[in-house]
Amino acid sequence: MANTAKAQTRFRDLAIRYGFLVLLLVIVIFFTVMEPAFMSLRSMVFIFQSVSITAVLALGVTATLVVDGFDLSIGSVAASSMMAASYAMVVWGLGSVEAVALCLLLGLGVGLFNGLLVVVARVPDLLATLGTMFLLLGLQLIPTAGRSIAKGMMMPDGSTSTGEFDKSFLFLGRHRLWDIVPVSVIIMLVLALVIWFFLEFTRWGRVMYAIGSNELASRLAGAPVSRYKIAAYMISGVSASIGGILLAARVGRGDVSSGNNLLLDAVAAALIGFAVLGVAKPNAFGTLVGALFVGVLLQGLTMMNAPYYAQDFVKGSVLVVALVFTFSLTRAARR
Amino acid sequence: MLNRITRRMIVKLGLAAMATTGLGFAAQAADMPKPFDKPGDVKIALVRYLSTGDFFQAYLSGVERQSAALGVDLRIFDSRQDAALQADMVDQAIALGVDGIVVQHGLTEAMSEAVQRAVDAGIKVVAFDVNVGNPAVPQIEQSDQLLAQLALEQAIKDNGESFTAGYVYVAGIAPLDRRDEKWREFKEKYPGINEVAQFGTLDNPIANSVANQASAVLRANPTINVMFAPYDEFAKGVKIAVDEAGLNNDVKIYSADVSSSDIQAMREGDSAWVATAATNPAVVGEVSVRALAMLLAGEDPGHNVIVPPTLITRDMLMELDIENMEQLSAKLPQFAHADVAVADWMPLPSR
Repeated sequence: MANTAKAQTRFRDLAIRYGFLVLLLVIVIFFTVMEPAFMSLRSMVFIFQSVSITAVLALGVTATLVVDGFDLSIGSVAASSMMAASYAMVVWGLGSVEAVALCLLLGLGVGLFNGLLVVVARVPDLLATLGTMFLLLGLQLIPTAGRSIAKGMMMPDGSTSTGEFDKSFLFLGRHRLWDIVPVSVIIMLVLALVIWFFLEFTRWGRVMYAIGSNELASRLAGAPVSRYKIAAYMISGVSASIGGILLAARVGRGDVSSGNNLLLDAVAAALIGFAVLGVAKPNAFGTLVGALFVGVLLQGLTMMNAPYYAQDFVKGSVLVVALVFTFSLTRAARR
Repeated sequence: MLNRITRRMIVKLGLAAMATTGLGFAAQAADMPKPFDKPGDVKIALVRYLSTGDFFQAYLSGVERQSAALGVDLRIFDSRQDAALQADMVDQAIALGVDGIVVQHGLTEAMSEAVQRAVDAGIKVVAFDVNVGNPAVPQIEQSDQLLAQLALEQAIKDNGESFTAGYVYVAGIAPLDRRDEKWREFKEKYPGINEVAQFGTLDNPIANSVANQASAVLRANPTINVMFAPYDEFAKGVKIAVDEAGLNNDVKIYSADVSSSDIQAMREGDSAWVATAATNPAVVGEVSVRALAMLLAGEDPGHNVIVPPTLITRDMLMELDIENMEQLSAKLPQFAHADVAVADWMPLPSR
């Protein structure tokens, strides 16, 4: 009797730990059977590319989730960073290095602003970042009076812009290393590795997790909680601005957009990440797998001519399953 | 001719006087019919449902230009995709005592009643791209059917009557639905058109999301040689995917609408985006105001005021060396002005 019970617990543990990865494998096999073109090197690389921007944003959100915060502004930071990069090059005629630096500074600045709102002004995180989101949605449109930015665009004062997108900037979104791996995928993987290492293996990362699970205890233990929280928002801001840079480099113009879908997809990826490996907490590896999971589904469904609303439905279903997985199964196992 | 010039000069002088004195009645134009003999006293309102994006910016600039040319007092109400608020704004405009209202987009259900209240209050109303179901309200339209038809005729001209097509479409968006009607009509007329894939999304940023989908579609259906993407954001997304797959010379993209950035994308070396059909949104804005002005002067612009589209091909852009919307207007006169809802007495915006 005791043995079967033990075996059951073990099976459940295994299911919790690897269930999501097995599910991912099953889905990949299913799509390969339905649509042979799905299983090719190019397809696989492409799935990585299609999720790279979402994943970069999601990694940033993960950092704020770790300290028990939340960043609603990432979508608009990405959109603003896309506009800023385009504006810098097309209107000011700056080079790609300056444009990228400007965007990263913008991301850091917004992150700092969010952090200060939360820590110093004591505005609850959801509200603070919601405010920042609206602020940026408006701000990004002011310089161009609501127009998209492209080479040869007409400025609000009637003149025509003279700059253009730097070749080396477009390289970030369009070039493929060894003719197969896009640069954006490399950036995503490197960022994932850095954030994963930072959160799991450095003292700072451990302190951030400690703050997330019990802020008061961490404060009493002498951790500079405020600084860590601000740092988390700055990581989030800078990740989002990297996402915006990749977006601008891929699209090749500064598109007027709210970035709300980016926000939702990124948050979904990070939340699905809770369930991967059954750790029930924000983690960089899970976030990456979560983003890939959604990417695999969307790619497969599109190949099978599924309409867009079916895709939203599937995205929602995956998220709900992942949340149930996180909040009931893993909790039950711990009891 | 001379008469016309002096008339315009008087209007301009009037405008200048108005600007300096800040008083409307200075704009006394001799030959304009009532109420435009005192254009500064004419108040019109633009009540918008959609405003973010290049198309809507350009539309607004057209409305502003034509209003300035007439010398009327333009008020702008922007509901930012809030249907209920848009209806309230019509009531606000009524309360403000405007003489005419341009309704720009919106939902039929929400706007019909509000527009009826305005008509009952003796206010002249025209509607752009929203059917308010009111015989007293002229409907300004950019003909989506004609747009799709121009692009598809070009596709047939370039590729013959049989080709393998991918189609980008999202159901439930009125202009896209009207373009879809034409597409279905063409498929029936030319049985050689083989649609192997249909996809589409309006997830923001649209070009990026559509690029992801198009990439999957191109790999699942390597035989596609024509992509019909009847909305420029769709076309931009498909182009990204075609570039990434290195299929620039194997796939041709046909679309609708145009902007400066679209022109740049079409002009790129080896661009797969070969043609688009478009109505100049600024011209649509001008026509909207002119139709309203005709109503106010007691003339009839007709119930359906249709602004005809123009076909723009990659070859045209290269030959005429067109780099942006301004040059497009300057070098393709049919794009810069539509001879629709023009009365003799009406001052047109200067170009």
